[in-house]
Amino acid sequence: MADDGGDDLAVRLVAGGATMLALSTLADSGMEHYRGSFRNPAMVLPLASSSMAIAFNGRRLARPRPGERTGPLVSHLTSTATGLIGLGFHFYNVTKRPGGLGFTNLFYGAPAGAPFALTMAGLFGSVADRLARGKRRLGPMHVTSGRAIGALTSFGLIGTVAEAALLHFRGAYHNPAMWFPVILPPAAAASMARDVIDDTPRAVTTALLGATAAMGLIGAGFHAYGVSRNMGGWKNWRQNFLVGPPVPAPPAFTGIAIAGLGALLLMKRRQAK
Amino acid sequence: MAIDDPQREPRAGAGRAPDVMRPGGWVPMREYREDEAVDFAIVGTGAGGGTLACKLAEAGFSVVAFDAGPYWRPLEDFASDECEQQKLYWTDDRIVDGDHPLKMGANNSGRSVGGSTVHFAMVSLRFRPEHFRTRSTLGYGVDWPIDWREMWRYYDEVERTLHISGPVRYPWGPDRGRYPLRAHPLNAAAEYLARGAEALGIDWTETPIATLSAPVGRSHPCVYRGFCVTGCSTNAKQSVLVTWLPRALKAGAEIRDLAMVGRVETKNGRCTGVHYHREGAWRFQKARNVVVAGYAIETPRLLLNSANQEFPEGLANSSGLVGKNLMTQLNQAAWGQVDDEVRSYKGPPSLAISEHWNYTDAGKDYHGGWSYMSQGPLPQVWAKSLAGGRGLWGQALIDEMARNNHSVGLKMVGEVLPYERNRVTLADETDQYGLRIPRITFSMGPNEQAMIDHAVDFMDRSLEATGARERWKEMDDTAHLNGTARMGDDPATSVVDADCRSWDIPNLWICDGSVFPTVGGVNPSLTIQAIACRTGDRIAEMSRKGEL
Ligand SMILES: Cc1cc2nc3c(=O)[nH]c(=O)nc-3n(C[C@H](O)[C@H](O)[C@H](O)COP(=O)(O)OP(=O)(O)OC[C@H]3O[C@@H](n4cnc5c(N)ncnc54)[C@H](O)[C@@H]3O)c2cc1C
Ligand code: SF4
Repeated sequence: MADDGGDDLAVRLVAGGATMLALSTLADSGMEHYRGSFRNPAMVLPLASSSMAIAFNGRRLARPRPGERTGPLVSHLTSTATGLIGLGFHFYNVTKRPGGLGFTNLFYGAPAGAPFALTMAGLFGSVADRLARGKRRLGPMHVTSGRAIGALTSFGLIGTVAEAALLHFRGAYHNPAMWFPVILPPAAAASMARDVIDDTPRAVTTALLGATAAMGLIGAGFHAYGVSRNMGGWKNWRQNFLVGPPVPAPPAFTGIAIAGLGALLLMKRRQAK
Repeated sequence: MAIDDPQREPRAGAGRAPDVMRPGGWVPMREYREDEAVDFAIVGTGAGGGTLACKLAEAGFSVVAFDAGPYWRPLEDFASDECEQQKLYWTDDRIVDGDHPLKMGANNSGRSVGGSTVHFAMVSLRFRPEHFRTRSTLGYGVDWPIDWREMWRYYDEVERTLHISGPVRYPWGPDRGRYPLRAHPLNAAAEYLARGAEALGIDWTETPIATLSAPVGRSHPCVYRGFCVTGCSTNAKQSVLVTWLPRALKAGAEIRDLAMVGRVETKNGRCTGVHYHREGAWRFQKARNVVVAGYAIETPRLLLNSANQEFPEGLANSSGLVGKNLMTQLNQAAWGQVDDEVRSYKGPPSLAISEHWNYTDAGKDYHGGWSYMSQGPLPQVWAKSLAGGRGLWGQALIDEMARNNHSVGLKMVGEVLPYERNRVTLADETDQYGLRIPRITFSMGPNEQAMIDHAVDFMDRSLEATGARERWKEMDDTAHLNGTARMGDDPATSVVDADCRSWDIPNLWICDGSVFPTVGGVNPSLTIQAIACRTGDRIAEMSRKGEL
């Protein structure tokens, strides 16, 4: 494995994606857990681990190959684990309500999206770490080929789409733009999956991932508009930020898509050789 | 007196009406001359009249709709204050008698442009299909002249217009399309209903309700502040005031607020217009058709007060049934005390419902159906329940009020059978306009008593199953008035036909809860609006065929 600039860029993309996911999680769980008054002390954990993830992945984004080993490892493991435990907690929160695993509880119970994004941040962070340190594998995953990261991207997109689809259904798709995140990212995920399967990075995948990344940022703008559509608008921002659509959620798409671009880059480099 | 007091000075006029969606805003309003007959003069702008005004105006008819009440601007005029909001209710003098005299006021009648829907609790339910033919299918009451499948289509129309938020799948009755918006989150009071129902092994669901769970147009989603029955100040509530009437205005209808209609004029067996009181004077509006939609008390009162030489017993009264068969709905409750902080006044009052006993007939020793819902009384209403329904007073009342946050309750909406003896007549006393006031006579029968016993006992057991202690039963409450000008197939036994057209006077129509032959086991407003939609379509069709 060569120390050329191309791989540095891939590391940056994957670490950048992880940073974006962690930022999204920090803001989202910060708001939601504040809303829940941190009733359970464990509700500070995602804040702590996503902050840590931002610090380490952010540093890798700026400087792809710092010598440090233990810090990032601890951070990525913590993110992955906190996300998984969070998923368990959130699932329990949904099912213990009257009516069990029904739509209303899925709409209004603890969301699966935020802990899922934190897990993804942990996974992408670990991948970037391995790549930066010139390792070929992460457990069973072969990182340098780019295919495994691509598969992870598809999986991450589908998970995030599931959350968006559920919550946009909750909003009854009252704005046609709400269809975008349930149409575009699945297309990107499918295209990525195809590239992974036949090991051929395609331009269309790059385009779709780029569009998904942009959509995540634009989505935050749409959600901000959604916040303003609640009683009192921006004048009542302290309440409306909490009850309106979550402004920091859509950029999770951006994070995953950016990491996916890193995967594509690795695949391209390998084939160019 | 405020500079702009809608209770003293009409707001609609001079070519404009309040824009209910924008503070201080106006929308253009077409105005009609009094001496040129309009196609339709509509008395009352509530669930029946307001909806019909929209349908008729959109069908191209010239329409003037009168309401005795003020034209509110919800965003500015509605305070989160129970006392202040008493202004929404019809509190004119009425005489009540019978074995179970009805309490009149906040619990059953409104006086506003938009009618009682301005302060209704937004529960929006479809009748059970069999309840349109109770006589033929279930052996009690009387049949409606309209088939349930036709009603199902009109329910769809109303639910779409009001953007009803409801469960993804409704557990009872035949299929219906998905509700336009998703259900609201349950509040703690609703969770108690859910847990009780699950413990007793029956279905429950989120209540289909006419307040937004997502923004629509210029309306914000519900903020769950719980002042629904005193007037929603966010416009999340889909009342007639903010849904049908803006559309009616756009389509060219005129609305006259603070306009009390005192008499419908007839000549040669046909209506010629209405006499109404506005801005201190009696006036007359000529009309080719008159629609009376003043609610189950004011509608018969107006028809009876309009008696003249041609119709000495009152208008549309050849059957002698105007004012008879008054039906209310049973509204008894079970309450209890729990350890959790419930704060049931948070959010719309009835977020969870069970229609189990509306659809299940086995195991009943009475006719008819009832549903029950979670409750969220505001402090004044709660104090009245404790004082009136439970007999607490003085320190005991104060102590109990202090525990309000832990009280939880379930309330029924139960079917009352039509009895001719329950009726609206005219008293000798007159009101501020010099019009004879209504006398409302009401007695329950053994069927109602049996239903109450079963329902209150069942609700009590449901609360018990959730661990509620110190339970008690509120036995003396009723809601929703219907009947008094029933529709039917036979002029001898009904006042209007299925199109809400009076049998006696071809250009007189009645379009509100008065036309219900039976009341069913659910809240009535969705059905009233569905009938108004149907009537609007039927009138347009008759007009096309030259049958008006
Ligand atoms: C507190 C409360 C809660 C309720 N909750 C629910 C609920 O959750 N779900 C549900 O389905 N139903 C509910 N209802 C019942 C529902 O609001 C009524 O059934 C429905 O509005 C009746 O429609 P209507 O057209 O017959 O009369 P209304 O909507 O009452 O309209 C009648 C209008 O006519 C006007 N009027 C009367 N006489 C005259 C006259 N002579 N001249 C001029 N104007 C006149 C009145 O001012 C009034 O505005 C509730 C009612 C109340 C009071
Ligand atoms: S709870 Fe919702 S519908 Fe009721 S008053 Fe508040 S905003 Fe309006």
